[in-house]
Amino acid sequence: MNVGILGCGTMGRLHAEMAEKCGLKVVQCSDVNSQSGKDLAKNFKAKFVKNWEDVVANKEVDIVAIATPTPLHFPMLDMAIKKGKYIFCEKPLCRTVEECKKVIQKAEKAKIKLFVGHVVRYFHEFEAIHEQIKSGKIGEVGFIKMYRGGMPPQGKNSWFRDFSKSGGVTFDCMIHDIDWLRYIFGEVKTVYCQNLIEKNCAPLDYSQVTVRMKNGVLALVIGTWAHPSGFRVKVEVCGSDGLMYYDNMETPLEVQLREQSKVSGTIVPESPVIKSPYQKEWEDFISWIKDGKEPRVSMYDALKAVEIVSACLRSAKIKQPVNL
Amino acid sequence: MVKLGIMSFAHLHAYSYAHCVNLIPEAELTAIWDDDKERGKEASKQYQTNFVEDLDKFLSLPIDGVIITSENVNHKPMAIKSAEAGKWILCEKPLATTIEDAMLMINTCKKAGVGLGVAFPCRFLTPILKAKEYIRSGKLGTILSISCTNNGSYPGGWFGDVKLSGGGAVMDHTVHVADLLRWMLDKEFDSVYCELGNQMHKGILETDDMGCLQLEMEGGIQVSHIASWNRPKSFPTWGDVTMEFIGTKGVLYLDAFNQKLNIYSDFAMKTEWGFWGDNPDLGLIQDFVNSIQEKRDPMSKGIDGLRSVEVTVFAYESYKAGKKVKIKKSKC
Ligand SMILES: NC(=O)c1ccc[n+]([C@@H]2O[C@H](COP(=O)([O-])OP(=O)(O)OC[C@H]3O[C@@H](n4cnc5c(N)ncnc54)[C@H](O)[C@@H]3O)[C@@H](O)[C@H]2O)c1
Repeated sequence: MNVGILGCGTMGRLHAEMAEKCGLKVVQCSDVNSQSGKDLAKNFKAKFVKNWEDVVANKEVDIVAIATPTPLHFPMLDMAIKKGKYIFCEKPLCRTVEECKKVIQKAEKAKIKLFVGHVVRYFHEFEAIHEQIKSGKIGEVGFIKMYRGGMPPQGKNSWFRDFSKSGGVTFDCMIHDIDWLRYIFGEVKTVYCQNLIEKNCAPLDYSQVTVRMKNGVLALVIGTWAHPSGFRVKVEVCGSDGLMYYDNMETPLEVQLREQSKVSGTIVPESPVIKSPYQKEWEDFISWIKDGKEPRVSMYDALKAVEIVSACLRSAKIKQPVNL
Repeated sequence: MVKLGIMSFAHLHAYSYAHCVNLIPEAELTAIWDDDKERGKEASKQYQTNFVEDLDKFLSLPIDGVIITSENVNHKPMAIKSAEAGKWILCEKPLATTIEDAMLMINTCKKAGVGLGVAFPCRFLTPILKAKEYIRSGKLGTILSISCTNNGSYPGGWFGDVKLSGGGAVMDHTVHVADLLRWMLDKEFDSVYCELGNQMHKGILETDDMGCLQLEMEGGIQVSHIASWNRPKSFPTWGDVTMEFIGTKGVLYLDAFNQKLNIYSDFAMKTEWGFWGDNPDLGLIQDFVNSIQEKRDPMSKGIDGLRSVEVTVFAYESYKAGKKVKIKKSKC
């Protein structure tokens, strides 16, 4: 099967690599920035196409992978559905709940297989946490604290810095944790959010979300785009008979290079695994296409995730809890 | 010589305070009173002092100040009696379980002309003093957001009995951080949204044992705070106080008790953390002794106790109402 990549930025490049690892062929790619597009085309022996519509319309392309800024997901999904493609779309599915609903309706009608990259569900450490919870090791879970983030998105003109496009750290980044909470503990009842969007601190954002699940489980999710350096993920799960804690700064590898021109190099922690979670999500997607095995993430999950983070943004605006 | 008495060993902190009094050369632990005779006698032996069974007799001793470490709801009657007997008072936190009680205590002490302090030893933690210095220096710029925790393990006993404690983890573990933030930033709290539950000890506890507060401080600073008894018995230590400050120019993370050894002992059969940092209780008791000598209020005054009680009370109000509520500040 052949893949067409829309958006050749960070995620587009990663998905091209994963598709290839899974034995697929990247045949075309598109980007408004022709340098990014041409670079990816060269690396994967694909063809760079100026207009993304031409990639979606191409009969040779079986799978469309969407990795453009979030507001562009909707028109791209819309056309890919019309053209009957298999679709891999980065999270968040769309920028608004309404767009998500439209897309799902159309995909249902056209019987399109649409996969959304809620990749945290595939991370080894999160799978391990899930396993430990299921085993009852810490008893019944009552409280979870999740923390994710680091520097604000880099690049002066990055679309991420326009919060109307990215939704800030709450919508773009914490959607991972919130989707995971829902995946493990079921539906969300209420959210309460404070963030920096209304305070005009862009590109800085810092968000604190209280999540109350329907089953009574309580969570505090913190997301940061306000740190001068680093990237941190921390998860603490508290149960009736124990507690478990994960911190991504505890790694098996730490590399620090002596660079001649610089005073000191930074420490880069690494936690290598044979198969990356991104490859795992691609394999799940492909086995859905080939064998009809339902993947771990459905488009309805993706809609729910957008619904919850949209409720968070509303809560931050009205400064009151929002019920789902 | 400053003569001190301790009223009740119901709160475990009493033992540490007694130890600290004995470390201070210009202070003397003159007597202990406790409504639990056994416990009081035992403590008097441990700290080489007298046990006095009768409260009036205890208060008629030539004691300059008392440390009240009773169950939360008993702070008020003990403080009022002590104030009327002319004693300087250091009261365990929370100052009281209701705003009315806190006000009454403050006003009684004022009228009696005695100093009233609240035991907030965290103000004497060296890493916290250092953090305060960073924040006040302006190095972090304007503070935008703060995330805090005061996690602990369930202390047991009367802490789980609302009639004596006035509430659960939110009552127990909100006031330290509320007081620290007010003091570090010199700003008050405006509003609070609180969710809580008791899943950590389901079926055992009638009080809450996990709380999640979202607060706003003057100037729109957004604060989250976890007040909980979520540390299991197998956890290496009693709990923590952590704070992450996000400023326009930088960030500061504080894990106030993270001066520790990791200890793996076959005798304990669980990992333990051995704390080696400065003892904050010593600073607290020293300040109380000084306040008596200088005829002033201790560092954390009655009003500080009241302000942190207000945060707690309105957190519970918010949970009941299911919405964010304003924190009304009483005048006194
Ligand atoms: N799952 C994850 O871990 C993860 C991580 C980061 C980002 N994302 C998501 O992936 C998506 C892309 O993020 P990114 O980090 O790769 O961003 P990026 O800015 O690195 O890449 C986006 C690319 O899209 C291109 N583009 C913009 N408009 C276009 C157009 N009209 N046609 C074609 N290309 C266009 C840009 O030039 C850029 O190269 C976003 O939805 C983001 O939320 C997911």
